[in-house]
Amino acid sequence: MKKLLLGLGALAFSAGTALADWSPSGPINLWIGFGAGGETDTLGRLVAQEMSDATGWDIVVENKPGGGGMAMFTQLAAYPADGQTLGMGVTMPVLVNLTIRPDEVPFDLDSFDYIGTVALAQLALVAPADAPYDDLAGLIEYSKEKGGALVAFDAKPQELLMGVVNAQSEAGFKMVTTESSAEALQNLLGGHVDAAFNAGAHIPYLESGELKMIASANASRHSYAPDTGTVREAGYDIYVDPWFYIAAPDGLPEETHTALSEALNNALQSDAVRDAIEKTMHTEPADMGPAETKAMMEDGLKNVGSLFGQ
Amino acid sequence: MPPLDSVLAGFADAFTLFNLLFVVAGVAMGQLVGAIPGIGPVMAMAIAIPFTFTLDTLPAVSFLVGIMKGGLFGGAIPAVLINTPGTPDAAATTFDGHPLAAKGKPLKATKMALYSSVTGDAFSDMVLILASAPIAVIALKLGPVEVCALMIFAFAVIAGLVGDSLIKGLIAALLGLLLATVQLDPEQATPRFDFGYFQLYDGVNLVAVAVGMLAVAEIVRRMAEHDGRPQPAAVPQSEEPGARGVSWREYWGCRWTMLRGALIGTGLGALPGLGSTAAAFMSYASAKRGDPGGVPFGEGNLRGIAATESANSAVMGANLIPLLGIGIPGSVSAALLISAFVIHGIQPGPLMFRTQPELVYGIFGAMLMANLCNLIVGQLSLRAWSAAVKAPASFIFPAALIFCIAGVYLSSGGLFGVSIMLIAAAVSLTLTAVGIPVIVLLITFFLGRRFETSLSQALTILDGDPRALTAHPVALILLVGALATGVWMARRR
Repeated sequence: MKKLLLGLGALAFSAGTALADWSPSGPINLWIGFGAGGETDTLGRLVAQEMSDATGWDIVVENKPGGGGMAMFTQLAAYPADGQTLGMGVTMPVLVNLTIRPDEVPFDLDSFDYIGTVALAQLALVAPADAPYDDLAGLIEYSKEKGGALVAFDAKPQELLMGVVNAQSEAGFKMVTTESSAEALQNLLGGHVDAAFNAGAHIPYLESGELKMIASANASRHSYAPDTGTVREAGYDIYVDPWFYIAAPDGLPEETHTALSEALNNALQSDAVRDAIEKTMHTEPADMGPAETKAMMEDGLKNVGSLFGQ
Repeated sequence: MPPLDSVLAGFADAFTLFNLLFVVAGVAMGQLVGAIPGIGPVMAMAIAIPFTFTLDTLPAVSFLVGIMKGGLFGGAIPAVLINTPGTPDAAATTFDGHPLAAKGKPLKATKMALYSSVTGDAFSDMVLILASAPIAVIALKLGPVEVCALMIFAFAVIAGLVGDSLIKGLIAALLGLLLATVQLDPEQATPRFDFGYFQLYDGVNLVAVAVGMLAVAEIVRRMAEHDGRPQPAAVPQSEEPGARGVSWREYWGCRWTMLRGALIGTGLGALPGLGSTAAAFMSYASAKRGDPGGVPFGEGNLRGIAATESANSAVMGANLIPLLGIGIPGSVSAALLISAFVIHGIQPGPLMFRTQPELVYGIFGAMLMANLCNLIVGQLSLRAWSAAVKAPASFIFPAALIFCIAGVYLSSGGLFGVSIMLIAAAVSLTLTAVGIPVIVLLITFFLGRRFETSLSQALTILDGDPRALTAHPVALILLVGALATGVWMARRR
């Protein structure tokens, strides 16, 4: 009997080490920087579920909304780096805050160890299908003739991007703020603005032929519209890449960091996660791995700096 | 109008046993919380929202709609039995409901309230179902300039109609708008009034403020006023014929009163921000000017009950017209409903008819179901709710307070929201003490962010030039209407 127990113990131990060199000492908390529902939350919960199924870890998802993730990352930076607490957020609000008010933000990019990325939101500039312009150059031309075309946006970086285009081309775009991409779309379809930014909700209207895509605002072209060029290709060295990513407090032990990154990467391979990302965001899962994620954050900060002209 | 097959598919989604279960549960819960003075459907919805997160969208919204509708009638029960409205909307129901109960006919009075509530509600639902698809098409043509003008018009009417003075109404409206400025500003994303709290970047939490100002403040007020005596005993039911129920003749005799009430309720409900309380009082006043029938008003006239209950219930369906049409809430409960939509990743607005027609018609189906359930559950459980009315305050209020705290903790993501709730309760008690209508403050607070955004959009589109308004005749008419309403309201008082 004693022998059997010992044997079972050894078996359990070896099974544990076969999966990873590290295992959590209790439930892992995955904090979501946004409220329940919405894209980040939906993705975070799915990823947590997949990671938990594959590794047997107990992962508890908790919403910590506020300031586009700033409230959550502020708290996360102050937590012990033991791999028991992770945070998921979106790059743009964090980078914007680090750019425009670095003194007020109680953390910087080095306050975290990056586990990996989850997906990239594909941000498009779209216009009504019957508009007399098909690309960014045409829109700029139209704006000059009209004395300022109206462009709807729902996040600061989109406005800044058009500001850079404005400054270089003297297009004179007039930027119309909206509360959601749905509202931006509503104004576009109602004929109240000439173009609008959207990250996925516009795709059904491209298919129905009511809208056309003017440009990709990301660094690269979009998977569903490989023929439409980016803003960068049009000659403006600027882009907006909102990445969904997961980070932990800085100073994770090497094996913990590796185990977490591997678990995330495996989870993103699953069909359920892929389907969810395609459904909610019209893009694909994309994990860059820890080192690349960190580099992406640093490049992103430079890029946001140029958005703000700093 | 969306294609017929998606309309039918929507109704088919709604009429399932699973969904029916949630509707019945919602209605029963709404009637119960409505029947207990001090707590109401707003609190119940706020607590229920985080729990509906794990459900699919349709059952979640069906459940919340059930609570809203159950509460419409529930509030009338204590209004009739103990002369205390269970919800503010039922305040005018006490005028004739309680005198009738005092004559030994409490069952007759509550049943009349139930039937007229269901009638008004059914009328309003029909208007919503028939009108909202065409309105959504028109709404797409309403640009930011028109929406901004519409909101100014609504503010003028709200401030003038609610409360006892135009000035106090305006103060409340401005306080609400001021509270709505706590957030990142919509144009430059600069934090305003955040006092170093990142949690305030997204604005003051809506659920926390609503529960604090309405539920917690009311609980505290009632606890403070409670003198330790048991609730006044309800009058015993008389056994004479006709005292227990409402005959068809009596119901039919109130048809014009109910129709007028339903029209007033629907009309006011369709305008963003106007609550059912105002509709109930207006309908009662206009019924009073008409023919009273056998009994004078104020002495247990069935028409008095019919007038208020049909009007306050008719507001709810119509409240969804601005919500689905232009994506702005018509009332506090509609604002909570929006936050439930957003939790499920749906942005309410005219595009819903395009992107989610099944869901929209599923909700309509659930509303019709909730209406029928209101009638059936109400009939079957009147006695149970009458017992709930008499539940001891020493049990009800502490329990309700715990529910408020738990609900806000869950939906606002922590104790920060709970602190906001407590501050909101204190502010609400103070303002009520000096006669400033808190409900106006809440409505303008809910609409404030949206108002600021449309104002900024309108200014961009008009290039800041008021003369450009001539290209927007609809907006111009609404602005003149707002001015006229203000002047008229000020003169009338």
